[in-house]
Formats: sequence, C-alpha cells, structure tokens
Amino acid sequence: MQEKREVIIELKGVEKTFRDFWLRPTVKAVDGLDLSVVKGEVFGLLGPNGSGKSTTIKMVLGLLEPSAGCISLFGLPPRSIAARAKIGYLPELSYLHPFLTARETLRYYAGLCSLDRRTAAERTRQLLEMVGLSDVADRAVGGFSKGMARRVALASALVGKPELLVLDEPTSGLDPVSTNEVKTLVKTLSKGGMTVLMTSHLLGDAEDVCDRVAILNHGKSVAEGRIGEIGTSLEEFFLAKVGEGRSFEVAPFLK
Amino acid sequence: MSATALEVLSEPLALLVTMSSMALAALTPALHYHQFGDPSRMARDAGLSALLVGGLAYSVFCTVRTFRREVESGTMQMALSHSVSRRMFFFAKLCGSYAAYLVFAVTLASVSLTVVNGAEIGGALMRRGGEIRPIWGVSFALAVSAAVVPPVLAAILNRFAGFRFTITANALMAALSVAGIAYRFDARLAARFLPVAAMLLLPAAVFAAASAAFAARWRANAALSAAGLLFAAALPLMGNYCLPDVLYKGGSLPAWHFALALVATAPLAAGFAVLGAETLERRDVEGGL
Repeated sequence: MQEKREVIIELKGVEKTFRDFWLRPTVKAVDGLDLSVVKGEVFGLLGPNGSGKSTTIKMVLGLLEPSAGCISLFGLPPRSIAARAKIGYLPELSYLHPFLTARETLRYYAGLCSLDRRTAAERTRQLLEMVGLSDVADRAVGGFSKGMARRVALASALVGKPELLVLDEPTSGLDPVSTNEVKTLVKTLSKGGMTVLMTSHLLGDAEDVCDRVAILNHGKSVAEGRIGEIGTSLEEFFLAKVGEGRSFEVAPFLK
Repeated sequence: MSATALEVLSEPLALLVTMSSMALAALTPALHYHQFGDPSRMARDAGLSALLVGGLAYSVFCTVRTFRREVESGTMQMALSHSVSRRMFFFAKLCGSYAAYLVFAVTLASVSLTVVNGAEIGGALMRRGGEIRPIWGVSFALAVSAAVVPPVLAAILNRFAGFRFTITANALMAALSVAGIAYRFDARLAARFLPVAAMLLLPAAVFAAASAAFAARWRANAALSAAGLLFAAALPLMGNYCLPDVLYKGGSLPAWHFALALVATAPLAAGFAVLGAETLERRDVEGGL
C-alpha cells in the first residue's frame, strides 16, 4: 500500500476567466480543474498551446486570482507570504533585469528570499558555478544569449533553496546538452526531497523526468496518471487524449 | 529598492534629462543677451526652474517606465513569486525611484548653486567695472564641465574598464557637481538657495507617487497622460508655491513655509502611494513578453 504523503499543491474546481477592460469575459483559460501534487514528486502539466498550463501555474503562484474554486499551497492560500517563501519559480521566458549582472541578479533574488549577505554570496557563487556562468558573473544579463539567460533564471529559482520548484517549460531555449543537464538536475533535486511542478511541450522531457502527469486541453484535465502506469508511450497517450490536431494546409501562393 | 534606483540611473532617458536640466541651469544665465543687471537672480530662477521642470519630467517618466517595464517584461512575476508582498514591492520600487530622483536633485541643485555663486561674483565685477560678465568664468566652466565631462569619462571607463556607462556618468555628475560648490563657497547664498530647492522636491515626490499609482493600473501611455492631466489640474495651485515676499527682500525661506508645503504635499504623496499599492494588491499580475 502506498504511504500517504503530504499534499503540497491542491486545486479544487479551479476556474479562470480573463476579462477585457469593460469586464466582459474574453476567454475561459481554466475550467473546473482538480489537481494535487504530493511532496517529493515531479508532476508534469502537459497540454497543447493555450490549454491553460501557464495560467494554472500563475494561479498556483498567487499571481492570478482564480475566478472560482480554491487553491492551497502547503495548506495555505497561494498569496500567503509563508507559502511563497517555499517556492522557486522558473517562468517560460527568462524574465531578468537586463541592467543587472548575473551575480547581482542572484543577489537580488536572494534578497527577496530574505537571505543574509553571507549566505546570499555563498549561494550565488555555488549556483553560478553549477550553471557554468562563473566566468561571466559580472556581465549584465541583457547581453546574454537565450540559453545563458535561462541558466541565470534557473539559478534564481533555486537561490532560496525552495521546497517546491515550479518550472514553466524549463528546457525552452536550451541546447541538447543543457537540456540533459537540467533534466538531471531536476531528478537530483527530486531525490533530495524537493517537489517539482513543471510544464513542457516536449513529451520526451516529461517522460524522462516526471513521476506523474496531467494532460490539459481547453482548460480541463483530460487525463492524469503515473508515467509507469500509462502502458504506452507518453506521446501516444497524449495524442489519444488531445487529438492529432489539424495539419496546416499550405496557402495557395506558397505552392 | 537599490535595484530600482540602479535601473532608473541606468536609463539613458534619465541621463538625458539630467544633462539637459544641468545645461539649462548653467547656460541660461550665462548668455550675454540677458543684461537686466541682476545675473544672480537670473541664475537662481533658471536653476530652480530647471530643478522643478526637469525634476517633474524625471520623476514622472522614470517612475512610469520602471513600473511598466517591470510589468511588461515579466520581472514583476518573478519578484512576486517570492516571499514579497505586493504592497512591499510597490513601496520598494517607489523608494528606489525616489532614491534615483534624489541623485538628480542633488546634482542639479549643486550645479545651480555653483552657477548662482558665479553669478554673484560676476555681478559684483559688473558693478565695479561695468564689464559685461553676467557669470564668473570659473563657476561657469565648473557647471558646464559637471554636465559634459562625466559622460566622456564614463565612456572611457566603459570602454577600458567595463564600467556601466549611464550609472557611472550619473555618479560622476553628482560627484563633480557637489565638488563644484566648494569653489568660493558662500554660506549665506546656500542658506537662501537650498531650502527653496528642497521645497521643489516635494511636488516631484507627489507626481512620482501618482505616476506609480497610475502605472500600477494602466499602460505607460495612459499613465503618462493621467500624470499630465494631474499636472494641468495642479498648475493653478503652484502659482505661489515658493515665492513668499521674504525671498524678494533677500532673506531665507522661513521654516514655517517649508513646513506648510510639507503638510500640503506629504499626505498627497502618501495617498497616491497607498492607492498604487492597493491597486497592485487587488489585480492579476500579468505581462511578460
């Protein structure tokens, strides 16, 4: 019998409707989503573009307010400071202040995690070494390549030593070698007890890293299961649940 | 807060406003066609006008820009996913904008004081010899150098030592401007000029807080338009803001007048800051490229 583990994230009947300036509903991005992520697992949120993955993550982080339903994070509301103190977040695009250097960026986020100067400096040094950016630590990140910026963003997400790591498309913009490094890192962190919630378009990546996945389509969860229990490849499982989609019909002038 | 101050000081726009205001303060009284016989007063008026107008432009543009960039580039999402309350974030950014504005104000007030000092010397020479010299050459050179030399030095330091251009230029401008005051320092003059300059910081603080509140809700253009409308509405109230009779008669600004201005503006700035913080607290944080 499987032991009962602490639930880190719980979503019950969560909905999110975006509205325009006049408060008219424009799009229902998430529609009655139920989900739970337990301590120490790597949970993958999969789905096609526009399926509500990033919106779900932003609601979990307290950045967006659900239109209906409830979310708990470590048993607390997502907006609570105590809950967010345990989170590290890597967004889909590496949002960094271009005028700060890599070292200043990590110190800035260490400051937001309320780390003292010495701890911040030591963690900054270790993380820059981990992501292979020690040599360019004092260059402004505005001049970094996409892959380098991604590494800085990943290090920023880890500087607070989070209990929950939220990764939105973590391998986006990375070359195959870096992608492998990130996957190995996620597995290592998970073994150390860190809970990971990630989204990915790359089913191969999700298959390699995730313990459990949920597939979203049009804001609803259409399937959920453990990777080992799906009984088929994740890609086949995904296409069976989401559909093949339509292929582009080449515009006549391009023929 | 320090990251915001660095961000604002990194802005080429901020550097441009600072340089233009310094040039305005230094050049206006130095031009030879102003020959009404009171170059010192011309220098004071030019310096204070540059401080007010440049200060309002600096505080409004830079505050709106730093807030909107944080929203639109997605860095606000990153920050607010950490254990930081939205109110704290808003106030820290506003304080960062104030810190950068303070660098601007100190720079400009120092340059203006140097010019005013030079104009007093130039005026005295005029009265003695009738020579047309509305501003003393050394002070003029100091004031103009404080605006022109730092960008050149910053460019060299950027090229050969990797210093960040705009931040270095701003820091050098402030340092050179403050150093310029030391040349034939006149305590009586400083006591007359600086309290009035300090009073001009107060409306800029109100407009910065208002701009931040607008930027927490609207896009940059809408926030700037709202700040512009607010300025137009406030213009009639600013007519006699810091011109009590005592200044005409050669005295210093009375403390009660400064206190009155503080009492009038501080609640406004605080009110706008609270409005902005509450707006940010209640809305979804979106954005990102």
